[in-house]
Amino acid sequence: MRKIIYLLSIAFILFSCTKEVVIDIPGYKEQIVIDGRIETGQPPFVLISKSKDIYSPTDLNAFLNSFQSGAIVTVSNGTTSVQLTEICTDNLPPGSESFIAELLGVSVADLASVQICGYTSFDPLIAGEIGKTYNLTVNFEGETFTASTQIVQPTPFDAVFWKPDGNLTTHGYSWATLSDPAGQFDAYLWEVKRINLGADGLPKDDGFQKPFGPVFDDQFFDGLTFDFFFDNPSAYDDSISDKFRGLYPLGDTLVIKFSKMDRDVYEFMEKKELQLATAGNPFATPTNIPNNITGDALGVWAGFSPSYDTLICQP
Amino acid sequence: MRNNLITFLFSFIITVTFSQENSTLSGYITDARSGETVIGAKIYIPSVKKGAITNNYGFYSLTVPSGKYLVEFRMGGQETEKKEIDLSQDVRLDFEMGADFQDIEEVTVDAKAKENTESTKVGQIELSIDEIKTLPAFMGEVDIIKTIQLLPGVSSAAEGGQGFYVRGGGPDQNLVLLDEAIVYNAAHLFGFFSVFNADAVKSVNLIKGSMPANFGGRMSSVLEVNMNEGNKKRFGVKGGIGAISSRLTIEGPLKKDKGSFIVSARRTYLDVIMKAAIPDDSPFAGTSYFFYDLNLKMNYEISKKDKIFLSGYYGKDEFSFGNLDDNFQIDMPWGNGIAALRWNHIFSSKLFMNVTATMTDYQFSFISSQDQFRFKLNSGIRDWGGKVDFTYFPNTRHKVKFGLDYIYHIFTPVSVSAENDDTVFDTGEPQRLTSHESAAYILDEFDINENLRINAGLRYSMYQQVGPFTRYIKGDVSTPDTSITYKKGDVIQFYNGLEPRVALRWMLPDKSSIKAGYSYNYQYVHLTSLSAVSLPTDIWYPTTDIAKPQKGWQTSLGYFRNFLQNKLETSVEVYYKGMNNLIEYKEGAIPGDNINDNTDNLLVFGKGWSYGIEFFLKKSSGKFTGWVGYTLSKTEREFADLNDGNPYPAKYDRRHDLSVVGSYKLNKRWIFSGAFIYATGNTLTLPTSWYVQNQDLLFNYGERNSTRMAPYHRLDISATWYSKEYKEKYDKTTGETIKVKKKLKTNVAISVYNVYNRANPYFLYVDNDGDFLQGDFEIKVKQVTLFPIIPSVTWNFEF
Repeated sequence: MRKIIYLLSIAFILFSCTKEVVIDIPGYKEQIVIDGRIETGQPPFVLISKSKDIYSPTDLNAFLNSFQSGAIVTVSNGTTSVQLTEICTDNLPPGSESFIAELLGVSVADLASVQICGYTSFDPLIAGEIGKTYNLTVNFEGETFTASTQIVQPTPFDAVFWKPDGNLTTHGYSWATLSDPAGQFDAYLWEVKRINLGADGLPKDDGFQKPFGPVFDDQFFDGLTFDFFFDNPSAYDDSISDKFRGLYPLGDTLVIKFSKMDRDVYEFMEKKELQLATAGNPFATPTNIPNNITGDALGVWAGFSPSYDTLICQP
Repeated sequence: MRNNLITFLFSFIITVTFSQENSTLSGYITDARSGETVIGAKIYIPSVKKGAITNNYGFYSLTVPSGKYLVEFRMGGQETEKKEIDLSQDVRLDFEMGADFQDIEEVTVDAKAKENTESTKVGQIELSIDEIKTLPAFMGEVDIIKTIQLLPGVSSAAEGGQGFYVRGGGPDQNLVLLDEAIVYNAAHLFGFFSVFNADAVKSVNLIKGSMPANFGGRMSSVLEVNMNEGNKKRFGVKGGIGAISSRLTIEGPLKKDKGSFIVSARRTYLDVIMKAAIPDDSPFAGTSYFFYDLNLKMNYEISKKDKIFLSGYYGKDEFSFGNLDDNFQIDMPWGNGIAALRWNHIFSSKLFMNVTATMTDYQFSFISSQDQFRFKLNSGIRDWGGKVDFTYFPNTRHKVKFGLDYIYHIFTPVSVSAENDDTVFDTGEPQRLTSHESAAYILDEFDINENLRINAGLRYSMYQQVGPFTRYIKGDVSTPDTSITYKKGDVIQFYNGLEPRVALRWMLPDKSSIKAGYSYNYQYVHLTSLSAVSLPTDIWYPTTDIAKPQKGWQTSLGYFRNFLQNKLETSVEVYYKGMNNLIEYKEGAIPGDNINDNTDNLLVFGKGWSYGIEFFLKKSSGKFTGWVGYTLSKTEREFADLNDGNPYPAKYDRRHDLSVVGSYKLNKRWIFSGAFIYATGNTLTLPTSWYVQNQDLLFNYGERNSTRMAPYHRLDISATWYSKEYKEKYDKTTGETIKVKKKLKTNVAISVYNVYNRANPYFLYVDNDGDFLQGDFEIKVKQVTLFPIIPSVTWNFEF
């Protein structure tokens, strides 16, 4: 159905014309946004912000000002409960820079130029562990929000490989072989980072990127072993020839982060990806993203159990 | 209550026996030029002020006190013909009208004009196909659906939107019949053109108000389209070559005056244009679109009392999208196949029977492939139907109809298959839902006195969902999913109900009339739509144990008056409509597979209502003809699981809807037409706020359908030039120049769609671009417009 929506969108865009309009969109309500995550072996990290009116300014200051300080954020795993510490990008604990930069999607060098505060704890007792459930409590401006997530058992790939696409010899997709556990719900997230050096002498990607449709569950393939592929999300700019778009060139080195999540987080991620693919598209139903947070808040509290593979693009 | 109602109805049907002896005049009215039966011709005896109108098969029956009468025969757009008839006993008279037909420069007062005030038809409009053909046509394609969208109370979803919306009802609530067979998807090219080829159509009748009891299965309206029968006198060919399509129709007698056939075909050549426009080495070389359709009809008079008709329609749309660079290909075919076999039998001058067997098939597919991955989605419906309908004319005061309807439905809501190289994914068993829908009905149109006429009817409908079927019951966190399997023939759910229908007309002394109507309808099929615009991806879904039948009631009241010796027809109607068991998808639902699930598990149920006032002014005679229709209305929906349970505007809620349609016949060679439309903008749901999660910008949507697009307005004009019907020829014997009728008749229709190039909104979306951290991030609301000014030329011919 998503492909149908995508196809129809293309068809109508081909035959139509578009212009910017200003129209009354009633019903704006400011809401708290909780963006929290915890991964295997990593500390919890929570960003708190507020939603903005659709016509509100979208400059850098507006973005930075949406992040909120002064919340009391607590994470517990059933045995240990820890209040998270508010840390800001201009005053990070030594050694946490790369972790925070990865979470914020900026390079370590750019950290100083953005002023964002979040909540975390480097207490090893609250770092993510497989099989544990993590409860989050946020007290902010007199309201309390709670959420719960689990770090589920990971399912690593049997193999990862690269092969040229079609008649090409130098470009191809990244492939993987997956053996899905039978008889249980499994949901996956594919992310990728190119770590080989670019022309500037730096790694090609600062952080992990998501390809088109990176979240999926095992409804179609419960218990099956099969090969599948994903495209190169960084290979779509205009400088790349049409026939090489979405492909990895021979010689790229990738780190594939293949994460699993619980059902609630999957529901959030699936609807989020759907919204990213179809937001504003009339051929899709408007999708408000469900979340696992009690109270009138947006966002998610998400546990992930990633497996990592390194793939060198060579036959 | 039910018993009282039935007794009430039968008390009118078992009629008063007149002390005076009566005789009946009955038969068929046919067009002398083609031999085709005429629908809606009027047979009138002025001395007793009694009349009858031919039915959909051209049959009439008129009972009057025995005697000699001068009988008038009237047919739309022609002079009245008169004949003296001795009715001392029953007379069968099959009458050919229009033998002396002369094309006249202006349209005479239509026989149907008086019907505006005199009939009990509430909210019913008949359109002449000739009238439709003179109106401006989008890209030169004469379109019945687009024309009825110009009538008050009827609107389109959006520019090119599929289907039509009648008095606040959804597009699935219209019973669209082609020669009595149901048409589920009446649109080509995502709704830009209707499936009805105007060259193959004989008559169009829209019932948007009080639906008579012989119609059922839908809540809002009936659109009856009857196909031409074919010329019984001579062979003929007609067609047209237009900007995007061409048409060809061949008709002729199977046996002169006994039987005839007509075959009409149409095909677009957008695919040829696209192939020429897209180079072979372009990555999009695999992209194309075309549609075609074929109409076929045959009829034969077996005896004076028996006729058979065979009608068929087959049409298909083929849309392909290819990207060679990515080895990516999508094919999306969809289409209808329809067949109807009918038998008319005249038991007596007072009893007419029609038996119909129908088959309707609608299929939609979506096939995509990329490298080794292949995906296919199918949905469709196949109906097998039967109908027996009797019309009984016991005397002049009564016209009784009764009969039985039956349909066997086979629905395939969504069937998915997927493969990746040698791996076949488990997409579950294709789900087919089968059901029996049946009804019995009786109605009587009778004159209580000179002024008061009532059309009262009762329909009893039944519906059985039957196996094989697997019902999946979704559990929650603590409860596992379960299922119930039904074997073939098992009755899963049974619904039934009475559907009373009443319409009355009260003639006032000043020749105006007041009409009122009430109808209650059950509808056992639903259309589920994900999008703000209607598409072939909308899925038809039957009533099940979870999805209850839609129930609707409508009441209307109108004042009707003609002016200027019936040249000007006017009416004002108010209506209120209530609808229950409407369906929508749950928020965020995406139907995609059928593993351990049923489509109706994704649905939510609610109610709706609509009310409004409609003004209609029509001039149907003279050099200048046309109409003005205006509707003021409000349509809302309320679903417990949507919009926090609060009522919200339906997506096609329109406060104002105005249509002005005019046609001027300058002379025998030129007709000029224009149509202006103004409508309040459609509603839609747009995001009210944005937020950021894990570096992604996300939107939060506000109340459902709380945003309204800019108003829609447009002016279309057309000019049609007709070739001379006669040529001058030198007669050697007399030495004079004489006029000889040309065998070939042609016309050229020039249309301009959207004359002042209004950028009407098709939809709005919120676009975002740039990067926050780079400081160039922007959010904009954008409007997509489909059609600018579009001129077109169509050449039509007939010989």
